[in-house]
Amino acid sequence: MRIAIEGLGLVGGFGFGADALRNALKGNLPSPGTLRFPYGDDSIEAPAFMADTAPLDQFVTKRSLRRIDHFSRMALLGAYGALDDAGRLDSDPARLAVVVGSGYGASATTFAFLDSFIQDGDSCSSPTHFSNSVHNAAAAHISISLKATGPSLSVSQFEMSVPSALLCALQMLRENRADRVLLGGVDEACAVLGYCRQRFFGAPQGPFDPLDFGRQSAVAGEGAAFLLLSREGQGEARYGYLNDVQMGRIDQGGLRLPEKSALVLGADGHQGCGRLYQSLPIQGRAHVCHAQAYGSLPVGPAFDLAAAALSLKDDRLYPGTESLGDRSLCCLKLAEDGNFGLVSLSG
Amino acid sequence: MSFQSPVAITGIGALCAVGSNLNECMESLYAGRRKVAAPGAFSSSHGTAWPVCEMAALLPGEQEQDAEPDLLRTSRLGLAAAREALSDAGLQAADLSRLRVGVIMGTTVGSAMNNEAFYRQYRQGEHPEMAPIERYLRSNPAAAIARAFALSGPCQTVVNACSSGTDAIGLGASWIRAGLCDLVLAGGADELCRVTYNGFSSLMITDAGPCRPFDVRRRGLNLGEGAAVLVLESESLHRDWSRNERGWVLGYGSACDAYHLTAPRPDGLGLKKAIAEALSGSGRKVEDLAFVNAHGTGTPDNDRVESRVLSELMPGVPFLSTKGFTGHTLGAAGALEAAFTLACLEQARIPASIGFGCADPELPAAPVTEVTEIEGGCALSESLAFGGNNAVLILGAKRGIGCV
Repeated sequence: MRIAIEGLGLVGGFGFGADALRNALKGNLPSPGTLRFPYGDDSIEAPAFMADTAPLDQFVTKRSLRRIDHFSRMALLGAYGALDDAGRLDSDPARLAVVVGSGYGASATTFAFLDSFIQDGDSCSSPTHFSNSVHNAAAAHISISLKATGPSLSVSQFEMSVPSALLCALQMLRENRADRVLLGGVDEACAVLGYCRQRFFGAPQGPFDPLDFGRQSAVAGEGAAFLLLSREGQGEARYGYLNDVQMGRIDQGGLRLPEKSALVLGADGHQGCGRLYQSLPIQGRAHVCHAQAYGSLPVGPAFDLAAAALSLKDDRLYPGTESLGDRSLCCLKLAEDGNFGLVSLSG
Repeated sequence: MSFQSPVAITGIGALCAVGSNLNECMESLYAGRRKVAAPGAFSSSHGTAWPVCEMAALLPGEQEQDAEPDLLRTSRLGLAAAREALSDAGLQAADLSRLRVGVIMGTTVGSAMNNEAFYRQYRQGEHPEMAPIERYLRSNPAAAIARAFALSGPCQTVVNACSSGTDAIGLGASWIRAGLCDLVLAGGADELCRVTYNGFSSLMITDAGPCRPFDVRRRGLNLGEGAAVLVLESESLHRDWSRNERGWVLGYGSACDAYHLTAPRPDGLGLKKAIAEALSGSGRKVEDLAFVNAHGTGTPDNDRVESRVLSELMPGVPFLSTKGFTGHTLGAAGALEAAFTLACLEQARIPASIGFGCADPELPAAPVTEVTEIEGGCALSESLAFGGNNAVLILGAKRGIGCV
C-alpha cells in the first residue's frame, strides 16, 4: 500500500514553509547564521543554519507557548505547518498519530536542567526543564496542542532516526491504527553540541559542499520537517507517495538501489559519511544533495523527504529544471557506522 | 484496527534489582523479596535520600576488568538481557547471521546526552575530553545490541518515556507481521542515573520509603534499573524451526491522552483507547484475561487513574504492580513487566502486589495481596508515560495453556 503525502511543514535556516524550502532548492541558498559557544578560555562563532519559530503565532497563542522550549516549538511549527499546508487543520484528532524522530532530543533544555542543579544544588532541580528534556516532549506538545489522541511515538537513532520513525509511521497507516500520521524530524543546534562538533571536526574546510565527499565542509543546522501522511485514496497525494523504507547495513549486502530512480543523497558535508557515498555505484545515475538548504543535522533525512516530495509535485529534480519523467525518487541516508536508510517515493 | 496475528515469543531475558535473570526475578517476586535502599552508585545533596532499586555495579557476565566499559550502563543492561533471551531461545550467532534480525529497544536515559562530569567541565571553561560523548554515541541501546550480534535488520530505539518498553515489543511484533524481519529482539533498558534522580525528585513524585502502589499511604515511586528482551519470531521461522515458544504477543494498542506533559488524564481516555485497541487487535475479550500487570508506579495520580480504568473496563480481573519489586525502571519497565507477565502465565500464578497493604477508599479497585493462582491463557500488561502515552500489550501463554 502506498502512502500519500498530503502536506509539508518545514522550518529551518531557509525559513518557514514549503515555498521557502522550494526557493532554497532552486539555488537561492540561505546564508548561515552563527552559533556561539565557549571553547576553553575563548568563544567561537561557528556558522549554523538556525530556525526562527516566530510564525508559530499563526497557529497558537503566545500564552500557550510559555513553558515550551525552542526544540518543541520547532516541532509544533512543523506539525501545524504540515496540517495547514494540507488544509487539514480540522482533521479528526482522535485518528491522528504523531511520530517524531530526533537525533539528540531537546539538547539545550537537557543542559539547562543540569544547570539548574549544578548552580543551585540538587534540591533546586527544575521540574519544568526536566519534563521538557524528555525525548518525547516534542511529540507530547504536538499531541496536546492538536488534541491528537492517536498513537504517539518518538524514536532516537541518530542519523537513522527519520527512516526508523518512517518505518513505524507507514506501519501505523497500513495496520489502520490511524487515519493520518504527522511524521517529523526535529533537532536543534545548541552551544554544547557546537562545542562537540568543534572538537570532533574542527571548523568547516572551505565552502559547504556535501557533494564534495572527501572534504569536511559540514555546517550545522537545526529545524523541523513534518509530512502529513495518509493511506492512498484517503487523502490528496499533493506531493506524491511514499512506497517503501528499507534499513540495514551496507556491509551485509542489504542496500540495493532501485533501477530508474533518481537519488536524493543524505550527504551533509561530513567526510566520514562522504566516503560511503563516494563508494556507491551511482555513476550515470541522477543524484542530488540538498543539505546546503538546511544544514547538517541528524534529522536531515526528513528535509530530504520534503525536498523529494517537492520535486515530485513540481516534476523537477531540484536544483535543476530537468523533468523526472518516469523516474521515481529514492532518498538515501548512510551513517558512518555502516547503516543505511533508503526511502522510495513516486508521483 | 485490524486483527493482529499472534507473534511467537521464543526467548526471554530479564534483569533488575531483584534478580540477574528471569528465574531469579520470579523467585524474588513470588517470595515477596525486594531490595530498596539509598543510591549507592551516586550521591546527592537532597535532604532526603530517596530510595532506589539498584543492581550490583558489575552486571551478569561482567568481570572487574570491565570497570571502564566502552558502553553506557543502559546498553550493557540491554546486552545482558539480549544474551539471556537468545540463550533461552537456543540461538547462536550463526543462526542469526542467516536471518534478517531487527532490534527495537525502549529507553529514556540511554538516549540522553547528559553526562554530568563532561558538562561541569564545559561550564567551567575547561576543555573536557570527548570520551563521554563518544561513549554516548556508541551506546544507542538498539544499535549496541545490533552491533554486538552483527544483526542486519531494522534498528530502532523508542524514546516514549515510561511506555517505551511496551511500545518496543508491540512495534517489534508489527515488524514481524509486516514481513520486515524474520526475528526481532524487542525490549527495553534503563540505568539509574543522578540526572534522572534529580528530575523525578524535582517533580515531587518519589517516595521516601519503599513504594506502595495503589495503597492509601502511597507517596510516589522508587526509581530502578534493569532490562528485558523478548525474542520474537515470524510465523514461518517458528514453523520451520519447530521450537517451543514461551508465549505470544497477541495484541498491542497505544494512544495519547493529549492532556498534560507529566500528569495522566483524569478520565483515563488514552488508556481506555489503548486497551480497546489491544484487545480488539488480539481478538480477545476482557473475560479472557487471567490478570493485568498494571503500571502501578505508586504515585497518587497514576494509581488513581489506573484503578478507575481497571475497575470500569475490567471489573473482577485480578491485577498487580511489580514496581514495588523493581522500582520504576522507566524505558525498561514495560519490557520487564511483559517478561514477568509471560512467566506468570507459565506458572499460572501471580505474586502479591508488594507495597500494597491498606486500600484507598478513593480507588475503586485494589491489587492482589498474596500469591494468587490464575486461570486463563492471556493477560494484559500496560504502561502509562510522560507525554500522556499509554501502551498496552495482550500476551498469551505458550500452547497447551489454552491460549493460541
